[in-house]
Amino acid sequence: MSSLPPVLTTPGQVARAFRRLHGDLVSNITHGMLSGSRLRLVMVAFCTAVFWAALFFLFFGGFQFLGMYGALAGDFVEYIFSLFFLSLLVMLFFSTGIITYTGLFQRREAAFLLTTPASADRIFAYKFFEATAISSWAFILLGSPLMAGYGISADVHWSFYLLFLAFLIAFVLIPGSLGAVAAILVARFFPRRQKSILASLAALVILAGIWLVVQLWPAPGDAFTPDWLDSLLGRLSFCQQPLLPSRWMSKGLVEAAKGNWSDGLFYLMVIFGYAGVAYLLAAVVARDLYRDAYSRVQGERSTKRKVGGYEVDELFHRVFFFLPHPIRLLILKDLRTFRRDPAQWSQFLIFFGLLALYFLSIRRIGYDTQRPYWRNLISFLNLGVTSLILSTFTSRFIFPLLSLEGRNFWILGLLPLSRSSILWGKFAFSTGISLLSTELLIVLGDLMLRMPPLMIALHMGMVLVLCLGLSGISVGLGARLPNLKEEDPSRIAAGFGGTLNLLVSLVFIFTIVSSLALPCHLFFIGQDEFGAAGGRVLTENQFHFWLGVAVAGSLVVGALATIIPLRIGIKAFRRMEF
Amino acid sequence: MIELKGVTKVFGSKRAVDHLDLQVSAGELFGFLGPNGAGKTTTIKMVCGLLKPSTGTVTIGGYTAGSREARQLLAYVPDQPYLYEKLTGREFLRFVVDMYGLDTKRASRRIEELIDTFEMRDYVDDLCEGYSHGMKQRVVFASALVHDPKVLIVDEPLVGLDPRSARIVKDLFISQARSGVAVLMSTHLLSIAEELADTIGIIDKGKMLVRGTVDDLREHAQLQGPLESLFLKLTGGDRPTIMPGLVGSGEPN
Repeated sequence: MSSLPPVLTTPGQVARAFRRLHGDLVSNITHGMLSGSRLRLVMVAFCTAVFWAALFFLFFGGFQFLGMYGALAGDFVEYIFSLFFLSLLVMLFFSTGIITYTGLFQRREAAFLLTTPASADRIFAYKFFEATAISSWAFILLGSPLMAGYGISADVHWSFYLLFLAFLIAFVLIPGSLGAVAAILVARFFPRRQKSILASLAALVILAGIWLVVQLWPAPGDAFTPDWLDSLLGRLSFCQQPLLPSRWMSKGLVEAAKGNWSDGLFYLMVIFGYAGVAYLLAAVVARDLYRDAYSRVQGERSTKRKVGGYEVDELFHRVFFFLPHPIRLLILKDLRTFRRDPAQWSQFLIFFGLLALYFLSIRRIGYDTQRPYWRNLISFLNLGVTSLILSTFTSRFIFPLLSLEGRNFWILGLLPLSRSSILWGKFAFSTGISLLSTELLIVLGDLMLRMPPLMIALHMGMVLVLCLGLSGISVGLGARLPNLKEEDPSRIAAGFGGTLNLLVSLVFIFTIVSSLALPCHLFFIGQDEFGAAGGRVLTENQFHFWLGVAVAGSLVVGALATIIPLRIGIKAFRRMEF
Repeated sequence: MIELKGVTKVFGSKRAVDHLDLQVSAGELFGFLGPNGAGKTTTIKMVCGLLKPSTGTVTIGGYTAGSREARQLLAYVPDQPYLYEKLTGREFLRFVVDMYGLDTKRASRRIEELIDTFEMRDYVDDLCEGYSHGMKQRVVFASALVHDPKVLIVDEPLVGLDPRSARIVKDLFISQARSGVAVLMSTHLLSIAEELADTIGIIDKGKMLVRGTVDDLREHAQLQGPLESLFLKLTGGDRPTIMPGLVGSGEPN
């Protein structure tokens, strides 16, 4: 049938082609960044520097504090490193796995590359190293101030820092490779259930995280005593398992810091060895299964899925009859997208569901019987955590809403509606979903903590302000800094606009929560378990006065955080050309 | 060059391609027609090795589709072209050339020829992120031809192209076929198939309804007239009717 066999491209030629591609891409992106907005570049560099410095001083202070424990400090450091790298191990497994999955199975680039002479394992290598770089850079940003803080406090030789870099490079390959193996296996064997498997795994990990936090939470009053310390290290012993790569990292780094270079290098070699094996395993799995897995994933995408839930839509129309009909339709469109995209609601459900589980177990843990000081502290911590999770939701899903309209933007532009109404619709959608989930959670948490009605009312009011502000920030900045070319919401959220949105949201949360938590903290600090005054910093009258000031201030900040970004967004959206 | 034997592709309970037999020889320009959802793109993806058939075999030049040898022979232009946004058109062409291991001097000459043929010199050194759909389509066509493929698979070739670019592409298809390349072209534009294709195949519900020259098809359907009438008769039976509510009154508003 065939005349002459084709002249095949050699693996070396394909590798050279990918190297050149990488080079061209990196060079063009760098050039684009340098010749683009200087303000943006300076802002990113400034924020990174501030973030790095803050972490450095935090870690440096922590290591200085641990130094007071003398001989015990070394053990502490090993435990801290083990725990840190174990967390890193788990997070990198998931993040590299998910990014590799997207790159190998969901992007159009994969279809293009699969029709070229590049072999499956070569395409995998290209996408894997890209995914590892994307998922690891944040950990280098997080790990470097930790090591700098430790290095300076332990007065290590400068070569320690170079060794740390080598340790980190080898280490990230282990969870990354295993995550990539998991991604290909899930695609190959469960092409329809990849999202539910991911959601279940993530839920398991978060449950384990909550269990860990509950384990480590100090019993009030006995913190930093020898007994507490002993029991704390006992509870942390799981992270010292000798078969865990995180343990090899911590042991190797501590030995190198002490100047035991042979031991340090031994652990480095062990990690490099396992990293090599893990990558080899991933490459073999990719070589044998990637093409087949790709075919299955594409095939499953072509199967028809039934949609329903029209009763919910009908109910929505009835409940929100007072909103103009076109606005209701727009909100409904976003609601349907949310409902039909498991990536959105599953993350929402997992995080808020687990928070609800934790709140429900508050009484079992015994927090409700603690002194008012502790209960107040825990209630504000609960509020802080709920707000932070809400901010990740608004940054990940609400901020990209307008950008995701992308090529269909003209449909919104041509609708017989004012453009501001479109944004108000998105704002209402975001606020509605946020309020519904967070208010219920906060009331649940406060009831379980047996908080007084005044505090429950205060927390509910704070949540209202936070939901309005976070929605205003995300919708407004989403309209001001849209990325209409990107179709992947996670990339939009990870871009400049998304990062700025997250930073502004965090500052807003910190301002609101801390301004209200401070007078409460100062009022409850001296109360005993019956609520009687001991060494109070604020009297009841002073507390009411300062709380009133804080509430007024929060309302002003909340109003500004809602209105200013929305105004900026509406102005930009009105000027936008389609 | 392209051969499908008893190919079936099942997605869940849906049979997208049903016992399909198809041959496209070297030098033949095959027009692949069918209504939306008929199985054209699924078939094309199987030929490119992106989907594996549930049963049956797909070969390119005697090699199993998706194998290293088959990919070396093939060029694929999808309906939604992919380009790296942060590469220039020229860098993209060079990447494809590198990927197929072409000799540098010959490849450079070929790239320049294609840049002139597709009239891309004005923008080929700009980043692809700024290209219109038509500009992107031209770069993708150039990248498909830069390594002298023996099999050219094209899904909806003229979408987004202006008349001048469309003419260039049509002429290139014909010249490629005449030089011995097997061209499999899927399209909804019946006039294009009628104008260019040596052979036409009409597929519906995953089955090949009829295959042959336009005259063969007319004879088969026992119907003279435009290809559109033939196509409608073979795939739907009748000319589609417009619901009365959508028919204008004929009076100005």
